Amino acid sequence: MEIKNADWYDLLQDTNWTPKYVSEEELFPPQFSDPYGIPVSEWETFDEPYKVTYRDYVKTQREKDVGAYSVKAALSRVDFYKQAEPGWKALLQMHFGAVPFVEYGSVSAFARITRFGRGPGMRNMASFGTLDEIRHTQIQMLFGYEFLSADRAFDWAHKAPNTDNWVIMSERHCFDDIEHTRDAVTSAVMLNFAFEQGFTNLQFVALSADAKRYGDYSFATMLQTVQSDEARHSQIGEPLIEILVRNGRKEEAQKLVDISFWRVWKQFSALSGIAFDYYTPLKHREFSLKEFVHEFVTTQFLRNLKALGLEKPWYWEEHFLPDIETYHHAQQIGIYMYRDTEWWDPIAGVTPEEREWLEKKYPGWNDTYGKVWDVITENVAKGRTERLTPTIAPVMCSMTGLELSGVAGDKWNVKDYTLDLDGRRYHFGSPVDKWIFEQDPARYKNYYGFTDRMVNGTVPDSPEGMFEYMGMSAEERGTCGMDFKWAGAAAKRAA
Amino acid sequence: MSKFVLACNYEGDYGLKVLNVDTCNTMQEVADIARQHLAGVFVREPEPGQKLRVRRHGETEFLPDTLKVADAGFVQLDTVDIIHVPA
Repeated sequence: MEIKNADWYDLLQDTNWTPKYVSEEELFPPQFSDPYGIPVSEWETFDEPYKVTYRDYVKTQREKDVGAYSVKAALSRVDFYKQAEPGWKALLQMHFGAVPFVEYGSVSAFARITRFGRGPGMRNMASFGTLDEIRHTQIQMLFGYEFLSADRAFDWAHKAPNTDNWVIMSERHCFDDIEHTRDAVTSAVMLNFAFEQGFTNLQFVALSADAKRYGDYSFATMLQTVQSDEARHSQIGEPLIEILVRNGRKEEAQKLVDISFWRVWKQFSALSGIAFDYYTPLKHREFSLKEFVHEFVTTQFLRNLKALGLEKPWYWEEHFLPDIETYHHAQQIGIYMYRDTEWWDPIAGVTPEEREWLEKKYPGWNDTYGKVWDVITENVAKGRTERLTPTIAPVMCSMTGLELSGVAGDKWNVKDYTLDLDGRRYHFGSPVDKWIFEQDPARYKNYYGFTDRMVNGTVPDSPEGMFEYMGMSAEERGTCGMDFKWAGAAAKRAA
Repeated sequence: MSKFVLACNYEGDYGLKVLNVDTCNTMQEVADIARQHLAGVFVREPEPGQKLRVRRHGETEFLPDTLKVADAGFVQLDTVDIIHVPA
């Protein structure tokens, strides 16, 4: 007879022993484990919301894999891809290059929490989190690689993390910071709570919904299986924050959330934001990034924060809410115009109908970002190809590694927040990015972003040298996903 | 005469650009270099009757058109605003 889990789970997970051969501090060095000095007895109160045993875990995961792989087997993915619209192709190319290596990075973050976490329940959940992230890496590489015969861009599902492409450098700076260079407690707050609970719904639930509407059922199913894991293992964060707050570490917990929430937001805004508002084909697009963020982030995340006794981040009203309306629109212009520096084939997403949608969702878009698109559209329509590849590089923010941007056009408002330290000038796209740097200058000051590397000669001073530095042969560089045909309708309407 | 790099904040554009200039360039030449790269690519050409002027980022006073980069007291990658004004 099978014994019920509830009858033995608590006994099984009680794995805090008193070490005999080494000291407690040698076994759990504070710099890896808990620099906050919280007593072990407190860590032992960590009550994991999901009480999972290995037997249950394997059974459930197997069912998820069977679901995802059987949908994949039943549908000819390559044929679907070949017939997909350019925007959806761009979305898939970008997703499969950018996401698998972040998932793989999370494997080591969870493994560190598993090894150095002080709460037995926390370690137990993190063990499964480690396995989850291995699965997420492998399934996404496999699903991406399947398209390799149809499109060279999918080589980047595996290649991307081994390059110094500027998009990858930006991601690496963010996730190295929050996942890979922190102790078990700090990285769990930043990864599990701020990143996973804050944003993965956006990436996997919202994107999955768009995928289903577009008819990409295997991508939708795969994303759902990923999110069901995220929903479980992200729960490590809540009991952890409760323990921190109860032990007088509220201020530190708040700061960790404030830093990581902003860092991850910028990544999601730039990459997922353009996928929602520009790449998803218009007739299958239901919600804007702004609507998704209000649904999944501002409402749910703030409720969770409040329940844990934390406040909303200090920059919420003044910087975060306006950023939802602006940041990704600026990034989209740069990503389209500097397309040869990316592994995917971006689309502009600004036909007259799409512009109408953008204006409706983001009132004022035509007078701001639309003004830059007016110039680009005219160049495309008139065949001025020499003006469609900029002859000047952008300045990247010293924190996000993404273009330092602001509001374009008639309401022009681009601000550079600078900081001089040890003979270097750092440039930040917002006061929040600068504030993060100021919290721990020693952590960030020796990093050279893409702009720094161009200026100091690390990136060779020639277009070909730059592409070589990024590991991009001529065949791997992005081109307009619509071969500039999108501007025809715009030109007709203007005439 | 040597190369110098500025961060260029061109009125109407969506983000900053890396502007390679020379220390012997005047502010008027800096504005012209920025215009050559950006006007007609991201931002419309200046209207007839308009010219471009340079100021330190965030300041309201323009730098003299004849001032040279070498004499402006810039640090590497200093940020300048390039603004449309009546000619």
